[in-house]
Amino acid sequence: MERDDAWRQTDRLQTETGKGDPFAAAVRGTRMPMIITDPRQPDNPIVYMNDAFLGLTGYGRDEIMGRNCRFLQGPGTDKAAVRQIREATEANRDISIDVLNYRKDGTPFWNALYVSPVSNEAGEVLYFFASQVDVTDRVDAHLKTLNEKEHFEREVAKRTRELSEALAAKTMLLHEVDHRVKNNLQMVASLLALQTRTITDPTARATMEGMLKRVEALGTVHRRLYQSHNIERFDVTEFVRDLASDLVRGLGRGDIRLHLDVEAVVVPVAKAPPIALILNEIVTNVLQHAFPAGRPGRLSIAVVPGETSIAIEVRDDGVGMPDLASVSGQLSFGKRLIETLARQLNASITWHPADPGTAVHISLPRETAVSLETR
Amino acid sequence: MSEPLRVLLVEDEALILMQLEMLLEDAGHLIVGTAMRAEEGVALLLETRPDLVFVDLRLAGDSSGVAVVQSAREIGGITCVFITANSRQLTDELEGAAAVIAKPFSGSVLEDTLAFLEQALRRPPPELAVPHGMRVAPAARESWALMEG
Repeated sequence: MERDDAWRQTDRLQTETGKGDPFAAAVRGTRMPMIITDPRQPDNPIVYMNDAFLGLTGYGRDEIMGRNCRFLQGPGTDKAAVRQIREATEANRDISIDVLNYRKDGTPFWNALYVSPVSNEAGEVLYFFASQVDVTDRVDAHLKTLNEKEHFEREVAKRTRELSEALAAKTMLLHEVDHRVKNNLQMVASLLALQTRTITDPTARATMEGMLKRVEALGTVHRRLYQSHNIERFDVTEFVRDLASDLVRGLGRGDIRLHLDVEAVVVPVAKAPPIALILNEIVTNVLQHAFPAGRPGRLSIAVVPGETSIAIEVRDDGVGMPDLASVSGQLSFGKRLIETLARQLNASITWHPADPGTAVHISLPRETAVSLETR
Repeated sequence: MSEPLRVLLVEDEALILMQLEMLLEDAGHLIVGTAMRAEEGVALLLETRPDLVFVDLRLAGDSSGVAVVQSAREIGGITCVFITANSRQLTDELEGAAAVIAKPFSGSVLEDTLAFLEQALRRPPPELAVPHGMRVAPAARESWALMEG
């Protein structure tokens, strides 16, 4: 068999009888560094080395013949790698491993070591055959890649941390500004409420109360802002509930029932204040005119999101609205406010007699939502 | 009204403090003191032993309304309600306060709140529903024997 043949060749090489053997000549002449050790002698010494091995390590033949090859180890050699080699040779296994070795002049090199036992027919290990390849370039490149990878990962982690911190700072700033706006809106409402109390003239007082309601409607918008994770979107549902309950409660009448049929719908934040003011005007108007004292009634608000528009209906079962074309004073200011805000929103508003009462339909195009968002 | 509530106000914005005073007086309650800093508020708690404290979260001199609420808990028998534009900073337990009203509040929300608190404090359980715009802490919900939901 080839394997038996191979060890006999090595045997002849060792006994100097194979000088003319082309196989032995190949081992002597190859550029691959090779050694043979004898485990049957104490401390498993080197019994043969080729010229390539001497070239790689920088030692002379006499300096290392008969020595255990641990002289190749140095301060940077991995102890675990050395242990693996020892365990393999003790178990008569072959082993292939990269280990950091040192030349005679102290310079290190990465050694791709391959050690295999050579046995006789009886299975007894006669020699270990070891080949070495200097793979410093490959290992260095690998280590460099590892280093670069680590460096890159550190940089990514650092950048991620910086971005998280920047986001946290931005969020904190937003909340700070939000807090300021809410406090200031409260202060404007406080001023109006305080001044209103000192006014005795009923018309002037009603005007001031109307202004307070408008400021409070804007306050309701800001109280509802940034309550969800999406800071660009405004939830109309909860807002309508807040605003309408607040206005009905403000009447101080127990005989007006509020009915809400509001489907979940969000709009861009920029649309919220004009929508709030329009709804405030319409609902306030209904509450002031549809239900004279002693006339109980029902106010219904429905919000129905459609594909291209959002439909809002405010309906009462009261005495019917006065003709808006002929209104004057406070009511005409409210009307102008509604019309101009509707223009801002590209919304259409229509009043219909509902027998009894009045129905107001607001149609809010969803396309505007997009253009408002992206501007 | 059975008996006016004795109320302490702790709010560092002068205008808001004035509006609160006005709304409380209009509703027939008695303001036993006003403070703009937490220390002032704590001192007035001991001095006046109010039934109810309306307290802002952020107060003058970088002080916090939480200190007032904690002090009120130690004294006992005092109900604290936060009025703040920072309600998102509060824990679910509201740092020991009974409830929170978010700023900006409307006049009618505060009127509702006062009517509700009067019943809750004087003769629980209150007949009125928890006002829209008021968040009640779990502990207060229990002590006022509120229905769930």
